[in-house]
Amino acid sequence: MKNNIKVQRAIHNFTQQDLAERVNVSRQTINALEAGKYVPSTVLALKLAKLFDKTVNDIFELEDTD
Amino acid sequence: MKTSYLFPHRLKTVSGILFVLSFITFVSFYAFDQFGNFEYKAKVFAIIGNDGFLGDNDIFGWIENSIVDEVLATIVIVTGIVFAFAKEKHEDEMVQSIRLHSLAWATIANYGILLLCYLFVYGLPFLNVLMGAMFSQLIIFIVLFRIKMYQFYTARQDEE
Repeated sequence: MKNNIKVQRAIHNFTQQDLAERVNVSRQTINALEAGKYVPSTVLALKLAKLFDKTVNDIFELEDTD
Repeated sequence: MKTSYLFPHRLKTVSGILFVLSFITFVSFYAFDQFGNFEYKAKVFAIIGNDGFLGDNDIFGWIENSIVDEVLATIVIVTGIVFAFAKEKHEDEMVQSIRLHSLAWATIANYGILLLCYLFVYGLPFLNVLMGAMFSQLIIFIVLFRIKMYQFYTARQDEE
C-alpha cells in the first residue's frame, strides 16, 4: 500500500514528532508508515485523514501487489 | 486502541532486573548442581509427588521437599511474564504488531528446537530438555522482541 503522508505532513508543516503526537502514536511508527514498512489500522488511517482534512482514499492507495 | 492484558510500564525495569538476576541464578544452580547445597526443607502440598526420586507417589498429600528451586522458578516465571508483557513507554499499534510477530516467531522457533531435541536427545539427558522447555519460549520471545524493539527505536529518521 502506498501513501502520501510525507507530502501531507509537509503541506501542514508538521514534523514526524508533531504528527505522531496528534494521532497518538510514536514517532517511529510515523517513520515506518512513511517508509511503507507498516500498514496502519483503519482507526489510525481515519485519524490521519481527519487530521489532514482529506478522505482516506486521498492519502492511501492500493498497489498492484496488494 | 486499548489493550487490557499488558502490565504497566513502570513494572518493566524492576521486573527486567529481577528476571535477569533470578534466571542467571537458576541456570547456574542447575548447571553446577547446586540445588543440593542450598536446601531449605519444607512441608509442601503435592497434587502428585514423593519424597525421593523413586517410590510410591503420594496423591493430594503433604510431602517434604526443598523449596529453593520452587521459589527461584516462581520468581523467574512471574518476573519474566511481567517483563515480557509490560507496556512500552509509548505503546501504539505498531508495537502491538511487533509484539505479535515476535510471539509467533518465538513459538515456531521454540517448537522447532523442541522437536529437534525430542528426535535427537534420548535417555536421562532428555530431562535437561524438559527443564529448558519450561523457560525456552519466554526467553526466545523476550530476546526476539527486545531486538525488534531496539531496531524500531533506532530506525533512521527520514526527516526532510
